[in-house]
Amino acid sequence: MKLVIDSLFGRITAIGVYVVGGVRATFELWMVFVGTIAGIWRMYGRRGASRPTGALVEQLHIIGNRSLLFITVTIGFIGMVMIYQACLQFSRSIGDLSQVGVQFVRLIISDFGPTLTAMMLATRVGAGIAAEIGSMKVTEQVDALRMSGVLPVDYLLVPRFLASIIMTLALSILGAAIMYGAGGLTAYLSFGVNPRIFFDLSFVQPRHVILGLLKALAYGAAIPIVSGFCGLRARGSSEGVGWATTAAVVGSSFAVISLDFFLSVGALWLLKGDL
Amino acid sequence: MIGERTVTLVGTRAVAVSREVGGITILFGQILRALLPPRIDGRELVKNLHKMGNRSVPIVALTAFFAGGLMVVQSAPFVKRLDATSLAGWAAGYAVLREVGPILIALMFSGRVGANNTAELGTMTVTEQLDGLRALAIDPIRYLIVPRVVSMMVMLVCLTVIGDLVALVGAAIVAKAVLNIEFGIMYGSFTENLTPHDFLHGVYKSLAFGWAIAVTSCYFGVTVRGGAVGVGRAVNAAVVAAAVSVMLIDFFLTYLNV
Amino acid sequence: MIQLHDVGVRFGARQVLDAVTLSVPRGGRLGVIGPAAAGKSVLVKVIAGLVAPTTGRLVIDGIDVTGFSEERLAPVRARIGMLFQNYALYDFLSVEGNVGFPLVRRGEPADRVATRVRDRLRAVGLAGSEAKLPSQLSGGMKKRVGIARATIAAPELVLYDEPTAGLDPVTTSKMYDLLRADHERSGATAIAVSSDVAALITFVDTVVFVYQGRAHYQGPAATVADAPDPVVRQFVRGALDGPLVG
Repeated sequence: MKLVIDSLFGRITAIGVYVVGGVRATFELWMVFVGTIAGIWRMYGRRGASRPTGALVEQLHIIGNRSLLFITVTIGFIGMVMIYQACLQFSRSIGDLSQVGVQFVRLIISDFGPTLTAMMLATRVGAGIAAEIGSMKVTEQVDALRMSGVLPVDYLLVPRFLASIIMTLALSILGAAIMYGAGGLTAYLSFGVNPRIFFDLSFVQPRHVILGLLKALAYGAAIPIVSGFCGLRARGSSEGVGWATTAAVVGSSFAVISLDFFLSVGALWLLKGDL
Repeated sequence: MIGERTVTLVGTRAVAVSREVGGITILFGQILRALLPPRIDGRELVKNLHKMGNRSVPIVALTAFFAGGLMVVQSAPFVKRLDATSLAGWAAGYAVLREVGPILIALMFSGRVGANNTAELGTMTVTEQLDGLRALAIDPIRYLIVPRVVSMMVMLVCLTVIGDLVALVGAAIVAKAVLNIEFGIMYGSFTENLTPHDFLHGVYKSLAFGWAIAVTSCYFGVTVRGGAVGVGRAVNAAVVAAAVSVMLIDFFLTYLNV
Repeated sequence: MIQLHDVGVRFGARQVLDAVTLSVPRGGRLGVIGPAAAGKSVLVKVIAGLVAPTTGRLVIDGIDVTGFSEERLAPVRARIGMLFQNYALYDFLSVEGNVGFPLVRRGEPADRVATRVRDRLRAVGLAGSEAKLPSQLSGGMKKRVGIARATIAAPELVLYDEPTAGLDPVTTSKMYDLLRADHERSGATAIAVSSDVAALITFVDTVVFVYQGRAHYQGPAATVADAPDPVVRQFVRGALDGPLVG
């Protein structure tokens, strides 16, 4: 009996530590976000700010251009798979495939396009940011920056944050287009759905586009903040960098899924079920 | 016109990708050879099973819950238009079991376990621990890699099964909270329309995903060069390679409709 | 110039530094010695303002800077140069970009920066390697680039964290010759952490022995091998028997 109580007590203590750690991490994450926003003001907003464009362009290239092939391949394949499964389901239930395209384009625009693109970016970009900043942290380059009077958040996070927002928006639009195209092709080749019926945009409403872009904006902001936070928390040497990178991938992927959930439920509630 | 530089760039990239694919294939062959006869270090295996499986349950459960809820939310307008609440469970369950569940859980698993595995093996590589094993005449493939590959495959399947269950529960809860569909209706919708094949389709996929994540993460771990920077880069490469292989495998298995 | 009053640093449950009190006069050279993981690097980082003390006060030139924000610390740090244990060269910048970085951040014109960088690189014996990347340099070269960067803005205080770790004895002597010449010319205060006591005491005038997080002993560098404290004597002489723990 004592053993049971002891183990129960241990469990509760463990959960308590977990919760406290989680709350503290959330608070620190929030502070990084606030710091980054303030950093944008310091770097670009106020009078006499330095407004460095070189770093921003470089990050746009790394985050955007270098993700093009990766996004095209993964999103293309998953687009085909999604339509294939949907066609299977539609033919089993309603037996009429004329609705597939109409339903899917709504889903792609308001959810799958931005969310799956962001999931892929969380993997590639999130890991990249954490690996880079984490390596700089453990080799004391972050301290060296501070010694030169540079705020690491301004110098390291602000360009990545801005570039990630811009490029997540752009790549989400591209990802949605690729999914739609790949899906239409699959529906035609495997199920004989007439492309003219499939590519029917008449049911797409402005609210779908707005919701999709809003999600992309949120993901684009969350990925560099979570990953940069993980990178700046790296300690030790190679092991620390590895941990930071892992935490960044999990953290930013999870941020994407939970943001998707809350934004979707919020939109559904706001529009009274008429999403 | 396509310039000479572009062609060179594409060529270099293609060679680099081919080299990685070749390396992964060789590692896969070595793993298979080490499995015949199947002598696995039992302690390593149990340790890895615990570390990779048990500790991933919270994040997988949360992800699955959101995934299930999301599918209900996404199917809401369609259900509403057809005025068929009995279809909500089917629509969500079908998507969760066959596609969304296995894929999202695999991506999370790749981030948590695969990336961690690369970081760990990478750190061992840069600190020359692998050479240390070889000096003791211990085969690193048999001792380190095989238990990890086996645990990752086993554990991703287990986590997918757990995740499927949590996702269906999540779907039911969100359906009640957001669309006001009673639990009974959702339960009926699940049991009447979903087939064991829908469930197994996802489980088979997760087995293949586990294999892909395991082999890529081990490969990028043991080929690390250059200290802390190298480890970070390897983890990055490993999660990207895992994501691409998961998507490719998903595509083929969906067509085969296993 | 530098005063630490009762400084303590705690990382979680670990007390890394405990009640350290010491002061370094302007132009003085302090050597920090002690066993591995005794808190030497943390002590230097506290002085640089990189690690905030949990207790106690840090006074620089009569100004209490304890608890300063990063932005208020910036003008203080502008007068401090630091050589990091792992060199901390920015791997995305060339040697020239690294060495010139502190000046560029202050908005100095590009041609003035380039001249200063050339001067400094010549002084550390690396003339002509402006365009190289840190990954192309050996450990000793990286250290010298780090010294050039630490001293380019003519700091009043220079902190050296392990300036000779991993260097062979001849290179070590050359390194201290370089530091000595540098400080004789500039008159800047120096604080250097090193495990190589014999070489270090050729450069510094005072030593502090950090042991179990405390400033266990302070005394003149020349006579540290005959210090009255048995722990210090044992450590400096490398004797196996004695009261030293760990």
